[in-house]
Amino acid sequence: MKPELFFMLASLLFSIGLVGVVSRRNLFVIYMSIELMLSAISLLLVTFSKVLGSADGAVMALLMIGVIAAEAALFLAIIIHLYRRNRTVDSDAYNGLRQEANDA
Amino acid sequence: MLELSLFSALALFMLGGSVAMILNTQPLFSAFGFLVAMLGLAGMFALLESQFLALAQIMVSVGAIVVVSMLTILTVNAKEENLPYEPYKYRWIIFSALLVSPLSLLMYKSMTLLHEEFNGIDVVDTKLIGSMLFSKWVLPFEIVSVLLLSAMVGAIVIARKKRTKVEER
Repeated sequence: MKPELFFMLASLLFSIGLVGVVSRRNLFVIYMSIELMLSAISLLLVTFSKVLGSADGAVMALLMIGVIAAEAALFLAIIIHLYRRNRTVDSDAYNGLRQEANDA
Repeated sequence: MLELSLFSALALFMLGGSVAMILNTQPLFSAFGFLVAMLGLAGMFALLESQFLALAQIMVSVGAIVVVSMLTILTVNAKEENLPYEPYKYRWIIFSALLVSPLSLLMYKSMTLLHEEFNGIDVVDTKLIGSMLFSKWVLPFEIVSVLLLSAMVGAIVIARKKRTKVEER
């Protein structure tokens, strides 16, 4: 096994997540794409921990799982709050800040 | 050889799941693709010989995050007309994939230039991770615990219903 395979997988996953964030308008899909990008980075950390022969990367990935959980909780709460206001999960519907800037 | 075939199967699962995640219109099917990708990631951690991380990944990502996302999707229960209208979805996805692919290639090439081989170390077992977590990494560990607490409080505050004037009296 070569580490290149893991590097390739991590970069592909990160790119798929980036494509999802850029091209979709569903808030849930954007949320899951962000999670996928973070997970790709944690895979990269574990791979480097094995490549460099120290457990630091693995500990960092463990802490990162905690950060991902915190991000998930906040993002889902924000989605529920936004859906309660406008009854849609379209990210283009939430442009309240832009309109206020135009009015002023 | 066994490792390579395991890796290929898991990688196919992960890539297929994540592509299904960004292609599906219904968010629940996207969540299933995300579930497959997270399970594949746990398998990858096991393949990289850090069993504790694989277990933590299954417990936190699959058992908590994906389940909570699915619960939120089912609670929100957006009907077809409440979903965003995306007539040019595939066109946008192909276009942004073309834009992102050089970045992916750059990441892959630059990372492979760093190190060619795996360093032969012992298995990163739970004992090692635990002792490092409470000696060298104790400050980040505490920061993550404070972050989780504040995220919990923040999620409750954001997601609760706003009380009306009548209820406050």
